[in-house]
Amino acid sequence: MLRRTLNIGCIAAASLMLVSCASTPSASPSADEVVAGGIAVVALSDEPDTLDPTVANTFVARVVFTAFCEKLYDSNDSLELVPQLAASLPVTSADGLTVDIALREGILFNDGTPFNADAVKITLDRNLTLDTSSRKKELAALQSVEVVDENNIRLTLSRPFSPLGAQLADRAGAIMSPTALETLGLDFGTDPVCVGPFDFTDRVPGSEINFTKSDYYYDKDLVKLDGVTYKFITDPNIRAANLRSSDINVAERLNASDVDQLDADGVDVLDVSAIGYQGLTINTDPTMSSSPLASSVELRKAFELSIDRDALNTVVFAGQTTPDCVPLPKQMAFRPDDIQCTDFDSDAARALVEASGETLPIPVELLIPARPTDQKTAEVIQQMANDVGFDVTIKPVEFVSALDLGRAGDFDMFLIGWSGRMDPDGDMNDLLTTGGTNNYSQMADSEVDFLISEAASVTETDARQDLYGQALDRIDEIKPLIYLYHDTWFLGLADITGVEYSADAIPRFKTAELTK
Amino acid sequence: MLQRVITSIVTLFLASIVVFVGVRLLPGDPALVLAGETADPAVVAAIREQFGLNQPIWIQYFNYVGQALQGNFGVSTRDRIPVAEILLQRLPITLELAGLAILVGVLIGLTAGIVSAVKRGSFADYAANAFGLIGLSVPHFWLGMLAILFFAINLQVLPASGYVAFTEDPGENLRRMILPALVLGTGLSAVLMRQTRAALLGQLSADYVRTARSKGVSRSREVKHALRNSLTTVVTVLGLQLGALIGGAIITEQIFVIPGFGKLIIDAVSARNYPVLQGAVLVAVTGYVLVNLAVDIAYAYLNPRMRLAGGAR
Repeated sequence: MLRRTLNIGCIAAASLMLVSCASTPSASPSADEVVAGGIAVVALSDEPDTLDPTVANTFVARVVFTAFCEKLYDSNDSLELVPQLAASLPVTSADGLTVDIALREGILFNDGTPFNADAVKITLDRNLTLDTSSRKKELAALQSVEVVDENNIRLTLSRPFSPLGAQLADRAGAIMSPTALETLGLDFGTDPVCVGPFDFTDRVPGSEINFTKSDYYYDKDLVKLDGVTYKFITDPNIRAANLRSSDINVAERLNASDVDQLDADGVDVLDVSAIGYQGLTINTDPTMSSSPLASSVELRKAFELSIDRDALNTVVFAGQTTPDCVPLPKQMAFRPDDIQCTDFDSDAARALVEASGETLPIPVELLIPARPTDQKTAEVIQQMANDVGFDVTIKPVEFVSALDLGRAGDFDMFLIGWSGRMDPDGDMNDLLTTGGTNNYSQMADSEVDFLISEAASVTETDARQDLYGQALDRIDEIKPLIYLYHDTWFLGLADITGVEYSADAIPRFKTAELTK
Repeated sequence: MLQRVITSIVTLFLASIVVFVGVRLLPGDPALVLAGETADPAVVAAIREQFGLNQPIWIQYFNYVGQALQGNFGVSTRDRIPVAEILLQRLPITLELAGLAILVGVLIGLTAGIVSAVKRGSFADYAANAFGLIGLSVPHFWLGMLAILFFAINLQVLPASGYVAFTEDPGENLRRMILPALVLGTGLSAVLMRQTRAALLGQLSADYVRTARSKGVSRSREVKHALRNSLTTVVTVLGLQLGALIGGAIITEQIFVIPGFGKLIIDAVSARNYPVLQGAVLVAVTGYVLVNLAVDIAYAYLNPRMRLAGGAR
């Protein structure tokens, strides 16, 4: 049983959502080490999709947006909501149905177009109406956007919706130049213009995206680099090799196993506990899965009891992940403070399996994306579960195809993670609610649906924490998911300083400088 | 010759169907990939409509072929950049890499093969055979990592990765191409070495060489005659190796972060980027067909007995 208590004191300071303990800015060198200007070369772990905030979906695109496309709000290095293009935090009415946002004055987009309330309305309306907008769902509660005056907008909501601030601190709140939108329309992503420290120069598909320092940026005096180049290097070993040879300045998501060697080679490595999670999703619909786990909570509990999360962390991740049993990261304010996970207990697991009356061993097909780390994780889980009476067979499938199988419910158990969101609604709604697009487990529980919906509609932080706590208890009873760990991400730095690397695991280069 | 050209056109037409259908047989919906983690069904439907994925496959095919014949391969689903533009950007890079790899392969492979055959049973022969065995066995990925470790990290004489266009900076372009070309060319040189050696040994023991030798022809002249006749086999193998070279380029370009054709194909597969994948594979197939046509023509030059015209083979 998952136990919890409230931590009201911890969350009092967070106006809407967030508290964190993780923040890792890079060290400052002495002045004579710094090189004036220069282009920082950053290796991303994948190629971003389109650089259009309305339709972009990849994490790496979020990394690139920080260079050129600021948002109404951002998170600081404690994951608290802070104004970016807004002048202050949003002001919500007593009934929770209107939100007033004051905007910063005297700001220009990178094409010289003035930033004002009209521009914000054009962006938000586009997010709400474009057929292919990925922001529609995130802004589902937003009914209309009204320009109050040059520097103020009012958002009208169909229902109270507390996660709105977090959404506006993500791509939904990235404001695009109305001039560029008018010129490029659907092709905005091919030559995007926003407010940001750097201005888009060009993109070489499959290779790199180049930015140069913006002449229009309001904080341009703080920007030391002449530009930033994002290169796409998918293999972590190659990213590490390029860091060691100083062919690149920054590499994200390095392998834990490379960290010691990089340290020894004089490469700075920052780390952050990522807000996403990894877990085992269990298909709970017996019409879709023939495994006895689909219909038996006791067997699902036995499976969890068979897994030693700490051993998994040690064997596969060299102790670098944060083992956990809930979707909410430890730095999140709404996470109940005293969560106690089900301890590894193979005897209890074996007893439950034997008491189930099923023919032993109990077959379970474990679907995994065909990636080396997932394969290792699956093999350790297989060994642990087989020890107590399960017969786990691993089914590695290429990532996109695995997602297809997951969506279709064509699996018994699926090793799959979630990249995480600043607000708990993004980590639970749709993933655990009835009919949710990402509810691969097929769980349908009216109590969970109600609690998650209610938590998004109340504005008081302690009330939200309590409701999420109740929802987590109920989810733990049903066990559609066995959460395993929160990842740790490593950022390597060579000949660069001043890089901000906060708990959202997105490196920012506004104040970065190259060093000799 | 005309017959060969017609065969090539039919091959290309059939290949376009196979490529189009094959790409769509890949599991994984491109609209779902584009819609991302949150995958709103309404957004997925809008994406399908935007890229014509909701139409029957035969309509999609004829639309595609009609546009492709006019040089329009559609736009990349990932970033909406025209596919033709991407292909024109990438193709010269891989052609340069392949050209340099062939140069490496031919220089090393041919030389080692000739030495090995002429000095059969000597230390040079054993060394060349060992090289051939290693060249064939060592995967490009491992060799590439070793090369980066040794030349870029330890010696710091060559860059670990990246590409600079030849038109931008010829010197830097070649500097950055040395390691990838060596890695890609090593496998090819091993194949060529073995083929050259086998073909040359066969020719050197042929009746006409023995006759020439009995008439007092010098060893070098003997080898020259045998070599010319051996080259038919070598050129055939070189043509056939083009496919392997493109396959090798996929890995090599990944390791050395070269934005070439191979990397384009693998990225397009991962993203289920149908327009890019179709365009790239079709261009690769066209290249393969053209090279084989060129090989057939080369036969006529290297061995006049092979008549391509008039069906006199």
